[in-house]
Amino acid sequence: MNGWILAATVALGAGVGTALWGVATGPLRRRVVAQNMSTALVCPALLLLSQGYTRPSYVDLALVLALLGPVGTLVFARLLADELADDPPRAWGVTWAVAGFGAVVVGVVSAATGPSRAMVKLLVIGALLIGGNVVASRALSGGFRGVGRG
Amino acid sequence: MADAVIVVVLLLVGATATTAVAVRDPARQALVLSVLGVVLAVLFTVLQAPDVGLSQLAVGSALTPLLLLLTVRKVRRRARGKGRQE
Repeated sequence: MNGWILAATVALGAGVGTALWGVATGPLRRRVVAQNMSTALVCPALLLLSQGYTRPSYVDLALVLALLGPVGTLVFARLLADELADDPPRAWGVTWAVAGFGAVVVGVVSAATGPSRAMVKLLVIGALLIGGNVVASRALSGGFRGVGRG
Repeated sequence: MADAVIVVVLLLVGATATTAVAVRDPARQALVLSVLGVVLAVLFTVLQAPDVGLSQLAVGSALTPLLLLLTVRKVRRRARGKGRQE
């Protein structure tokens, strides 16, 4: 067990544990934010795991999650729009904290990889992760009201 | 000691699956199910099966909640339509 896997274990245990508690209790707006947070936390954990196992191909999992996680949140934002419109979720603190964690992990892992094509891939994953997360949060808080709802 | 990751992720899967059963409202259940899909994908990765994890991610994080929510919506709309006719 090396430091990378230890860091991934802590991130998974603490982060996803908190997200699970948030998704299981409380009003709907908190549950939706917790679901968004869980995908945004697991993606850096997968990067740490791929570095820990020294298998660069495991990075593909993080790439797929960085793409599909915000898509899943957008599904909820669209189909639960009527229920969320009454009291929209506002969780910019959590969103930016998780985005900062993702940025730190991507920075550390790409520094360990060194300048190469793999590092470019890691940076793309980081950009997708943070961008997707911010867009999903904004959609949840009703930021795109002009877009058709039905 | 090296198996600590596996134990932590297994515990998470157990807790999430129990929660998914315990939550009664289908829309909220879909939220828990999407977390369950992501956690299961991590479990497969930790057990060195990333190919299974990839398909689990694609199905679990976006497709299952989409199908569930669309079904809930259709059922509710039909119930509302019937209520109007009677």
